[in-house]
Amino acid sequence: MTTIVPASPKTVLQLDRLSRRRAGRQAVRELSLALKSGEVMGLLGVNGAGKSTTLSMIAGALRPDSGGIQLNGEDFLEYPELARREIGWLPERAPVWAELTVEEHLDAHGRLRGMRGSNLRQARTAIIERLELQPLARRLAGVLSQGQRQRLGLACALLHRPALLVLDEPANALDPVQVAALRALIREQAAAGTAVILSTHLLAEVTAVCDRVAILHEGTLRHDGAVLADDHPALEQTFFGIAMNGSDKAQAA
Amino acid sequence: MTLLAVARLEWRRLLVRPLAWVLAALTLAWLAWNFTLLLGNFLAGQIQRAAQPDGPGFVDLVGVPLLGQLAQLAFLVVPLLGMSVIAGERRNGTLPLMFAAGVPASRIVLGKYLALLGWLLLWLALTLMMPLVLMHATHFDWGKLAAASLGLALMLATLAAIAVACSSFASHPAMAAAAALVIALALWSVNLGAQLAGINGGAINWLAMSSHLQPLLRGLVSSADLAWFVLLAALALALATRRLAADRERG
Repeated sequence: MTTIVPASPKTVLQLDRLSRRRAGRQAVRELSLALKSGEVMGLLGVNGAGKSTTLSMIAGALRPDSGGIQLNGEDFLEYPELARREIGWLPERAPVWAELTVEEHLDAHGRLRGMRGSNLRQARTAIIERLELQPLARRLAGVLSQGQRQRLGLACALLHRPALLVLDEPANALDPVQVAALRALIREQAAAGTAVILSTHLLAEVTAVCDRVAILHEGTLRHDGAVLADDHPALEQTFFGIAMNGSDKAQAA
Repeated sequence: MTLLAVARLEWRRLLVRPLAWVLAALTLAWLAWNFTLLLGNFLAGQIQRAAQPDGPGFVDLVGVPLLGQLAQLAFLVVPLLGMSVIAGERRNGTLPLMFAAGVPASRIVLGKYLALLGWLLLWLALTLMMPLVLMHATHFDWGKLAAASLGLALMLATLAAIAVACSSFASHPAMAAAAALVIALALWSVNLGAQLAGINGGAINWLAMSSHLQPLLRGLVSSADLAWFVLLAALALALATRRLAADRERG
């Protein structure tokens, strides 16, 4: 009898001693992480901990001062064009081209990422339906509310079906119904094999949707571990231990 | 292909921006008014000129002066239109979206430049339509009009490159417009002092834009003049690319 061994998830993202100075201070220091396909990692930290800088570097919007980024085994810093097809990024506050409609926005994002013709049209229609953006499709992005912009940004990040989804505070300005829909969407993407890394201030967000949590403090990684569904008090203790004392002694205690 | 995607995105943004339409409407109305005045003067002097077989024609008295008016307007229109191509993106936080799509800085700059240049060439073409509607009604010096049009196109291309470069360095679009205006005016009039002193050659005259545009407006096409415009535009675009690449490095 032969036993079928499920294929082990491959490493999509590998950060190797990533460092970056920003605004005159060390925003990220020697950060090493790995993320497998289908895994959802939450990046926690107080304001200024280096979460957005880390995600910008992973997304390819910012170059690190030192260290390496491997994307599906390839050197991302050597080939930044990998970002075009492999990464979907929702930046903090979801910036938009105010002069374009929602549909035009998705088209522009698709074209920038090399999508064309019917391939682009089908992907656009599918993502508009999936994120229920039909009523907004012909509206100018400049007049959307922050929550609507957030959904548009998410649609742009998902349009080209990336292998890695980078979400910077995706639940910002979303109402509770939309937050629940966002969580379902993230789980759906992970089930389809997409690796997801998201930053948040909300511990409940991490316990609800993430498999792993990494806690950053003053640019360094202070904690990296699995998240259990009923793990909220322990996570809270770890987070506050790091945020208040700069170490995760509280967790050890 | 990403170059075309950037150009298309910028073109779309230009077309829905009220400033582009307002500038087009006001300047074309001004040029049309000037065209009728120039045409009126041309018709009034037609009998006297009939006695001079080699006297100035329709293109000399209407076409080229009209293009001269457009050149003057360009000093204001190009900085206003180009001010937000990169500075506006930086302010809105949309520039990192292009970096994250793996688009190199050179293609971002070139794509935006092509879109801006497309608008300006359309503006030039609409202006040229005014004298061209009378091409069958008068003797038309095609060579002189082509040379003058080429000169204007090169001038617009150079001013657009300067506007894109200023926009890449400025944090605010208004600063970019002011810088582009000052640089363009300085380039135009850098040799004024030398000319007042009776010096008509040398590096200072070579540096001035007017020294290279005036011969083209007179119908004289020289490769040295063409090279001056191309070199200056290339330099400005290279500086803009360098600045944008540094933006990605610095964050």
